[in-house]
Amino acid sequence: MTTTAPPDPRESRVLSRVLGSPSVRLIGKRVLMAVPIILGVSILTFWVLSLIPGNAAQQVLGPDATAAQVRALEQELGLDQPAVTRYLDWLGGAVQGDLGNSLISGQPVSGELGSRLAVTGELVGLAFVISIGLAVPVALLAAYKPNRLVDRISMVVSITGLSVANYVLALLLVLVFAVQMTVFPAIGFVPLSEGVGANLHSLALPAAAIAFPLFCFYTRFLRGDLVDQMQGEDYIVTARAKGIGPWRVLLRHAFRNSSFGLITVVGLNLGTLIGSTVIIEQIFALPGIGQLLLQAINTRDFIVVQACVVVFAIIAVLANLVADLLYAVLDPRIRYGSR
Amino acid sequence: MAVVEAAPTLVSGTGEERSRSWLRALELIVPGAVLLLVVGACFVGPLVLPVPSPVGGNILESNLPAFSAGHLLGTDPNGNDVLARILHGGQSSLTIAIAVNLLGLLAGGTLGALSGYAGGVLDSVIMRVLDVLIAFPSLVLTLAVAQSLGPSQTNTILALAFFSVPAFARISRAATLRLREQPFMVAARLCGTRGWRVLLRHLAPNIMPQLITFGMLGMGIIIVIEGALSFLGLGIPPPAPSWGNMIAQGQASLSATPILVVWPCVALFITVLAFNLLGETLRARWSGR
Repeated sequence: MTTTAPPDPRESRVLSRVLGSPSVRLIGKRVLMAVPIILGVSILTFWVLSLIPGNAAQQVLGPDATAAQVRALEQELGLDQPAVTRYLDWLGGAVQGDLGNSLISGQPVSGELGSRLAVTGELVGLAFVISIGLAVPVALLAAYKPNRLVDRISMVVSITGLSVANYVLALLLVLVFAVQMTVFPAIGFVPLSEGVGANLHSLALPAAAIAFPLFCFYTRFLRGDLVDQMQGEDYIVTARAKGIGPWRVLLRHAFRNSSFGLITVVGLNLGTLIGSTVIIEQIFALPGIGQLLLQAINTRDFIVVQACVVVFAIIAVLANLVADLLYAVLDPRIRYGSR
Repeated sequence: MAVVEAAPTLVSGTGEERSRSWLRALELIVPGAVLLLVVGACFVGPLVLPVPSPVGGNILESNLPAFSAGHLLGTDPNGNDVLARILHGGQSSLTIAIAVNLLGLLAGGTLGALSGYAGGVLDSVIMRVLDVLIAFPSLVLTLAVAQSLGPSQTNTILALAFFSVPAFARISRAATLRLREQPFMVAARLCGTRGWRVLLRHLAPNIMPQLITFGMLGMGIIIVIEGALSFLGLGIPPPAPSWGNMIAQGQASLSATPILVVWPCVALFITVLAFNLLGETLRARWSGR
């Protein structure tokens, strides 16, 4: 590798091979690109929230507060400082995990966020597992014989499902399964520590409300991509000419290629998905981060709002990043930069 | 595009082909007709039909069932006519969706076309800024913005339009990049046409179909998000009706009078479905599939 022999040539060769490998370089580049986006998102949040007309301190104290009280709170919160100083102060704390204290409860925000993130995370994770677990087999069945009965039904269901707002679906589920049939609870959350069964039971309806539109979206996307692959690609013709059975061509050849697209779409979706948990958590009274955000918005606790929005945004950026990386690691064409 | 449109008629007109071209026409006609019906009912209906006022109902007439005298769909707990509230709510939903799309299309379309046409530093700067906006879970910040500006129709439009810009800009930029080196664009430049004129007269008409198709697909999404904002009490402030706040109001009495939730849900579903179907059909035609 190099002319001057290092202490342990074998180790250095491994290191340089790892650092020089296209995957690692690409991962490094993408991670570096995510940093300015996260910074930009936090600046944007800060900026938008500082546009709030009226005085934040006045709003916290209420209309009866005297001018002196307002000024004292402003000083305490640092609101009398210029916006740039405040942002840098906040950023300095944020990178150390300190997102400030709630204006209402006085408790540190980061502690509260942690426990709530777990609830939201479980909800989103469950919705993902359900939607992808159902979408993949349905899309495969539909693409096996395009324009036949199964395909037609799945297309009608998916375009219909995409037109149902998740809050409409949530209320419909509550109406049928909680009010009429009383199979599932209408509201409330049972933590995982009180048993997996009870926990899943309490999350079944909200997870279904989030999962169904997603299932429709993924089915539609994957089916379209699979049909495109099966009809137009040379490697499919080759595989068929070799005498490989139709299911095997679909599963091992076409699906493998289509799964890349699916990964990207899933990553892009996570941001919107996280946003939609706000309304679902509100309907089902789940103690997640969306509920915290809504409470904070209603009590004008801007420190908590800011923390929640930034956390939402960071999750969205990271999801995109992971999808990007997975895509790159799985697809050699991207890894070697020929496309 | 004309070639694509004409393609099915080139194939010999067997019965199956003819029925297929009929189906293709229906794909446009059915959702289009439904939308016309919805728009007509919401905007013209209250003017020509004997529909009562959507607000200020008599509390003595609360919770009337459907087909009551003077109240076709009955009344809500405040004694307001449900049909009137659906129609007026539809007015605000459609107004908001159209306004948001127009603003997004103009601002996003211009930004994207500028970015793609100019290239270089301007392109990089615009695209990086848009990356930040696209990374944002828009509903979340829209909630914060809507609350801070105060719930109202104008503020809802502004908050939603802000987040529809990046998607329009991406579409517009991609279309511009494809067209930039086309002979007619190069010819226009070689003739010494000014930059803004090339953009306005030569580029804009060619990227417009794609932007409009995208806008059509976005209509449903915006109506759904607007409903979510109103549902959470951050959109159209009650007592003014909107589908979202009607659903929220009905949720309170879900077990007693579920029908109050059903009507606005049905209205929302039909409208969004029609927009989605129309958008899908347009998209399929433009992409030549």
